[in-house]
Amino acid sequence: MENRKLRIALTKGRIEEKAVSLLEKIGYDVTNLREKGRRLILAVPNEDIEVVLAKAADVITYVEHGVCDLGIVGKDTIMEHGGKFYEIADLHFGKCRFALAVKKGADFFAGYGVKTVATKYPAVTRNYFEKKGIDVDIVKIEGSVELAPLVGLADGIVDIVETGTTLKENGLEVCEDVAPVSARLIVNTVSIKLKQERIQEIVKLIEENLQ
Amino acid sequence: MKNNDLLTPEGTRDLLFEECAAKREISERLTGLFEKSGYSEVITPGLEFFDVFNGYVRDFPQEMMYKLVDGKNRLMVLRPDSTMPIARLAATRLKDEKLPLKLFYNQNIYMVNPKDSGRDDEISQCGIEILGGDGGAADFEALVLAAKSLAACDEDYRIEIGDMGIFTELLAEYECSVELAVNTRGWIETKNLPKLDEVYAVENIPETDRIYAEAFKALPRLFGGIEVLEKAKKYLHGEFYDMKLARLEKLCRDLSEVIPKEKIRVDLGLLSRKNYYTGIIFRGYVEGYGQPALSGGRYDRLLGDFGRDAGAVGFAVNVEAVARVLLQKDGEVFKKSPDVIVWSDVPVLALKRCAELIASGYCTVNSVLASAEETREYAKAHKIPHIEIINGGKITSEDI
Repeated sequence: MENRKLRIALTKGRIEEKAVSLLEKIGYDVTNLREKGRRLILAVPNEDIEVVLAKAADVITYVEHGVCDLGIVGKDTIMEHGGKFYEIADLHFGKCRFALAVKKGADFFAGYGVKTVATKYPAVTRNYFEKKGIDVDIVKIEGSVELAPLVGLADGIVDIVETGTTLKENGLEVCEDVAPVSARLIVNTVSIKLKQERIQEIVKLIEENLQ
Repeated sequence: MKNNDLLTPEGTRDLLFEECAAKREISERLTGLFEKSGYSEVITPGLEFFDVFNGYVRDFPQEMMYKLVDGKNRLMVLRPDSTMPIARLAATRLKDEKLPLKLFYNQNIYMVNPKDSGRDDEISQCGIEILGGDGGAADFEALVLAAKSLAACDEDYRIEIGDMGIFTELLAEYECSVELAVNTRGWIETKNLPKLDEVYAVENIPETDRIYAEAFKALPRLFGGIEVLEKAKKYLHGEFYDMKLARLEKLCRDLSEVIPKEKIRVDLGLLSRKNYYTGIIFRGYVEGYGQPALSGGRYDRLLGDFGRDAGAVGFAVNVEAVARVLLQKDGEVFKKSPDVIVWSDVPVLALKRCAELIASGYCTVNSVLASAEETREYAKAHKIPHIEIINGGKITSEDI
């Protein structure tokens, strides 16, 4: 266990390819990552490193518990999930934003009634409206949130917006931006202390190869 | 209604056999060390009034405390921290005791963690508090004892030192809103470098405040060996900071006389959400555990908050976490099985023979089974290497 390889957790899906390219750019052999099949732990040849592929929230959990040393995960998941880790770099890819969207032409803030907001991100939504000092009812939706205002379940949604096409196609529009989102490099609070040189070397390589 | 009678609550667990042995071993090593160093043991109640942990200085987050009410409908909590009750104790029953007081404890704390996070809600801690005395001398003793505690658990440890006072002073000079202050503390504590770089970007900050902005951005990056303190001088200017850095340097140098230098780390971004810490703050890490195994620091306002003006310093070790690491590394050490089992048709004879064997140093089991044959089966199943059978007053010994 003491001699475990340095482990990096990558988020599967949207930001995976960019993260793999980044590792390639800093000089790692990523063939295993490109041809992963069904494997979940992938060795990086010639390096004392292995890569784990996981769902976004799990990347945080693995890093927080220290079973992975580093992780690449979206700010959206960090904002929703929280946790104890160091968030040491903005990787500037996987850029999008959290936004409050409503039916085209509707005024979310009109009237005195308590509004209902549908979202996949209840914590982000709660923090946002708490900061504004507005009471809202939050409904957690698992699938396409855009549906909720259309069928009359909610007055608005808080969701991730990349291009806005999905909103437009469903007759919704952004009413306010909540927060910008991009991929972040996170690191376990103990690993960075016990393996400082090794980790800082990787962080430095990553930062130099960002643009 | 669903019946939960077969489960333990989330964040708690039953400990079995070698888990208990490992935990007991760790707490014995630590309490032994504290006792030999002249500390006196205290035990505070598991149940305390909510008010003990609630206030500006005592600001344990209320959503993290297990709450209940007493017979008079007053709000109670399961102790979420041992330092605050000990400060209460020092300001009340021990108020006439001459300072410095050196106390140790070995007890559990309880906190409500986020659902499904896999964190422990029940945490066993072994720790010390030095109340009063000369600040510098007490800090050094606490650090040495912390290092010894870690070494007693696992050779592969690091101790890391920072100072909460540096950040607090910067904040006081900078004069920002409470919200920004709280956020900045959080960003530094979690080394959220992108956020600090964004908020404290040169173009956002008036010229007069740049030194603070630069310092806030630098603090979380200033970690590593003792040389970090030298680098810090670039960002921290003024007599107060020179004094703080010189004190930290002295502590590290003095400490390196006692423990190997490479085990000593510095992190000026080490801050605590606990409002009561005022001076040095430190953490201990062991390989194989993803969170600090030890944490502590100086708290000069806490006792005053209970009505007795005195500074203090202390730390606690997460006993069970350390025990788990040791079990994973070498579980065999803690596995204990009996040496011999004794069965007799006359129970009195069996117990007499057991007493003899125990007196000669063997771990001996008295068989409460009905026959010698059943006892053999039992010994096999429980890997007990020897069996003694006393039949008609005659002892026969067998290897299993």
